Amino acid sequence: MPDDNFDELQTLLRLKRYEQPPPEYFQSFLHEFHRRQRAELLRQPLWRIAWERTVAFFAEQTASRYAYSAAVAAVLLCAGITSMNFLKPNDRDLQPPSIAAAQSARLDLDNRPRAHLPDYFKEFSSRKTASVASLHPRYVMDTRPVSYEPSSSF
Amino acid sequence: MTTEAAASNAVPNEDNALIARTQAGDPSAFDVLVTKYSPRLYGLVYNMTSNHEDTNDLLQDIFAKAYRAINGFRGKSSFYTWIHSIGVNMTINFLKKRGRRYTLSLDDVDANIQNDKEFIELTSNSTSNPVREADLGELQQRLNEAMMRLSNEHRAVVTMFDIQGMPHAEISKILGVSEGTVRSRLFYAHRQLQNFLEEFRKK
Repeated sequence: MPDDNFDELQTLLRLKRYEQPPPEYFQSFLHEFHRRQRAELLRQPLWRIAWERTVAFFAEQTASRYAYSAAVAAVLLCAGITSMNFLKPNDRDLQPPSIAAAQSARLDLDNRPRAHLPDYFKEFSSRKTASVASLHPRYVMDTRPVSYEPSSSF
Repeated sequence: MTTEAAASNAVPNEDNALIARTQAGDPSAFDVLVTKYSPRLYGLVYNMTSNHEDTNDLLQDIFAKAYRAINGFRGKSSFYTWIHSIGVNMTINFLKKRGRRYTLSLDDVDANIQNDKEFIELTSNSTSNPVREADLGELQQRLNEAMMRLSNEHRAVVTMFDIQGMPHAEISKILGVSEGTVRSRLFYAHRQLQNFLEEFRKK
């Protein structure tokens, strides 16, 4: 088992400083740097450069990376919720106000106990046809349906 | 701290002026920074990769990245610390991608080593050290192989402390870890290297 005296080892490691590239290497390094910079400008898309600059900007800030992550997550969450509320389709919003109100009233009537309904309405509501379900009121007065009968019945 | 490391830290104002000029749109000011820091950064990357060609490519990428990010530099740390942080992080990322498949591509040992006081002592006094038993080229290869057997993080610490002569505090800033972590990594890395070289000595 080797001892914990690292003097000799550290001397050996220090001698690694003598491993060096040829003297002309650093003279041509700057020239090569300029050449690559020009080539990169022609090759790299703008969004990648913008992204690297953004990352570098945040890396330089003093607040912890977790604080920035939390802030970004909160902003994205709020944006997501807001956009969902805006984009959610509402059937009533798609119809003219009078029709929407009429459908609302019809639903109210359908939910009432049948015993309290007038006879003519019991008969009407017992017709389980698709055409009735999709039928729009023919006449609407003060946002209440007056008649569902086609105009030919009058 | 070595005189080289001390000199790099002693002129932050000069660096700040060059950075301000670069941020104002004068690319020649950045050229001065490249010329000034490329030898030290070369040593950092080279001793972590043990490959000259990889070092050259990485060094170009490091300065390119620094140039793109220079407008975000606010001077909270010295340019020296900042560019070394970029260098260490990019090199470690590169080594993770490269994995265990690599070939040593070593630079020549400068002839001035023959005049180095420590080298003379090491090759003449000790009776059982690896330098006496091996020629310089073989020793260089063994030492680099031993370095490459360390983890990337341990190799980074050894490179900065033992080869480049940085103080613990500077290394902790560059790596973003505590000084205690730097010291413990150093101790562990030294033990590992000692073991590897013991194996070499016994062969």
